[in-house]
Amino acid sequence: MKNHLPILIIILPLVFSFLILLFRKYAFYLSLTGIFVSLFFLLRLSSKILRGNRIIYHLGGWEGPIGINLVIDGLSFYFSFLVLCAGIFIVLYSLYEEKYSSTYYFFLLLSTSSMLGIIFTGDIFNMYIFYELLTISTYLMIAYLKKGESLKASFNYLIMGGVGLSFFLLGVGFLYALFGVLDISHIAERFLVIFSFNQQMVMVAFALILIGIGIKVAIFPLHGWLPDAHSLAPSSVSALLSGITVKIGIYCLIRLLYHIFCSEEYFFIRTGQIYLILGSITLLFGATMALAQIDLKRLLAFSTINQIGIIMIGFGIGTKAGFTGALFHILNHAILKISLFFCAGIIIKKTGSRLLQGLKGFGRREPLIVLSFTIASMGMIGIPSVNGFISKFIICSAAIEAGFPLIVVIIIIASVITAAYYFKIIALFFDLSETSAKITKPFGGKNASSRIIFGYWPVYVLTGISVFLGIFPKFGINLLEPAVKLILSNFIP
Amino acid sequence: MKSSNIIKTIAQKLFPFITLFGIYLILNGHLSPGGGFQGGVVLGTAVILLFLSYGIEATEQKVKMRCLSILEEAIILFFIFLGILGISTGYFFLKNFLPLGRAGQILSAGFMPLLNLVIGIKVAAGIFGIFYILFKYRGEI
Amino acid sequence: MNPIHFSILLFFIGLYGVINKNNLIKKIIGLTILNGSTVLFFISIGYRENGIAPILSEELSGELMPVMVNPVPQALMLTAIVIGVSVTALALALIVKIYEKYKTLNIQQLLKE
Repeated sequence: MKNHLPILIIILPLVFSFLILLFRKYAFYLSLTGIFVSLFFLLRLSSKILRGNRIIYHLGGWEGPIGINLVIDGLSFYFSFLVLCAGIFIVLYSLYEEKYSSTYYFFLLLSTSSMLGIIFTGDIFNMYIFYELLTISTYLMIAYLKKGESLKASFNYLIMGGVGLSFFLLGVGFLYALFGVLDISHIAERFLVIFSFNQQMVMVAFALILIGIGIKVAIFPLHGWLPDAHSLAPSSVSALLSGITVKIGIYCLIRLLYHIFCSEEYFFIRTGQIYLILGSITLLFGATMALAQIDLKRLLAFSTINQIGIIMIGFGIGTKAGFTGALFHILNHAILKISLFFCAGIIIKKTGSRLLQGLKGFGRREPLIVLSFTIASMGMIGIPSVNGFISKFIICSAAIEAGFPLIVVIIIIASVITAAYYFKIIALFFDLSETSAKITKPFGGKNASSRIIFGYWPVYVLTGISVFLGIFPKFGINLLEPAVKLILSNFIP
Repeated sequence: MKSSNIIKTIAQKLFPFITLFGIYLILNGHLSPGGGFQGGVVLGTAVILLFLSYGIEATEQKVKMRCLSILEEAIILFFIFLGILGISTGYFFLKNFLPLGRAGQILSAGFMPLLNLVIGIKVAAGIFGIFYILFKYRGEI
Repeated sequence: MNPIHFSILLFFIGLYGVINKNNLIKKIIGLTILNGSTVLFFISIGYRENGIAPILSEELSGELMPVMVNPVPQALMLTAIVIGVSVTALALALIVKIYEKYKTLNIQQLLKE
């Protein structure tokens, strides 16, 4: 059984999702069981992966370039661990937020299974199929509550996602026309030879894939769907989208661009330069737009664009410290952004308004939630003792070593703007000038106290983890050592 | 929408032929162009033809939506079960574990006819389900 | 003109439709043309000169295999067409709900509200 664990990790959430549709009453327990069992299987593989080995699984018994391979190495392990752990928190929080019917849990498990499929697969067309499956299930989760604005946001996301994935498919078509195989490791072997023959077609393929995935990652000119889609969705879905789904796009960029294209020196330098420029523009754009927002969740969505810019800068620097900082920032941003969106959901549920003005005096009513929000925003800004500081510091020191002092200035300016808008919110929390006249709406229905537990405890646990990683960052960095070694050595283990 | 007697009679007479063609496409998927998706769409189209010509109430009496939903969900679990059977016979997931016959016969190529059948049923149920929901709830919910 | 050039032309026509048209349904039609052009691109890659359809029958066996077109892109594009159909169906369902709430399908008026 141990040999077949890779496919079982992908299949289990899928099986449980269809079981949820058949047994509608046990939706919550089945979804939690599915993610826990998948996480348990992943941890059984962890000892072998963290030593630096690689597991390859041939689907259907067909080997080599003919069949589809599943590849688990350090990078896949890191991202899939992040996806599964975040999935547990999101399922727990969904129980608090509203009484969702079974189709919501079905789409949640379907999106988890497709994310694991993207991470583990070693075949570019298979990656496109799973990516489309993930995007379709997120369209449905955004429009779940059928409010007018979330329908428009979901339609906007649908059009842009459809166009983006068509660009990606065309790029995959160019790669297939050039190389004749669809398997990532075989393409990487033949890359240098074929690049010396048709340079222009390889560059067109590179540009198409970068644009296609760039629409999903929300790099600067292609970010237009993100503020609407992430702010007008239910809070647990916003946490899933901002925390995890955007990172899957970054994983696809690493896997395709660094594995296939960057074995060539020319592409490595150009990719680094493109990432640095786009990352800096995205960073400043996200920070400035977030300063001007009056809606709480829209501000958090622009903050996501901000942090994605920092991650792109980290990849653009190109040294070992740069990759370590960027990968660690992916983990930190996921933890912090999920806890921020959960806090925002609790705040909106308690005060009934989404605008920043409605937050006045909230600190008196729920002091622990406000404390968690404060700690999480300290991490986003980069104040020491929370984990966000460690990753930003590693990226800045990598930039200084590699000779880009301007990047450090840009990151510091953006951190100051981030501090401005987060402190604005925190100051509103502790504003006692007028007492808020809203009464807390009683919950209604049975098990009111247990539903509060499901809502509040994920926030506390996530805040605790972020402070712990801020004081002892070694635990996080150990997890991503194999991944960084893999990227630097061009994925030859 | 109003439909006349001509449409009802022609649809009723054409229905078995279209269904037969769809089943032929599904079963000969491994020998000639066709297969699960194509045959499933043709089967779905046959049911949609009846449903467009006879109106929604008469079709609802013949095809119950609850049975269709359960069929759709259970058939996917059967597909994954076929894959896991590949594991239990000692090979990998989705390995061909039934005997391969001579090329050109219907009962050859292991379990590919079975997979085609599963996909065909699922696609037919899906296509009919999409049209049914879009038609029934036009603007009222 | 190759099928490959034609598929790139169709790609740009579809992109024009998605960007410039104001009605929501015309945007969906543009998206469908975009998907169709990618399918055409993949299939026209697999073409070989004077190739026949890749079907094994009893006349051809053994030594004298004639030149056949590449069947792999055709199998891949089946899945891509299925995905295009489901995205179109989902978009139409969203359009039904948007029309019922806002009573208009013009994107300029929808953005104002």
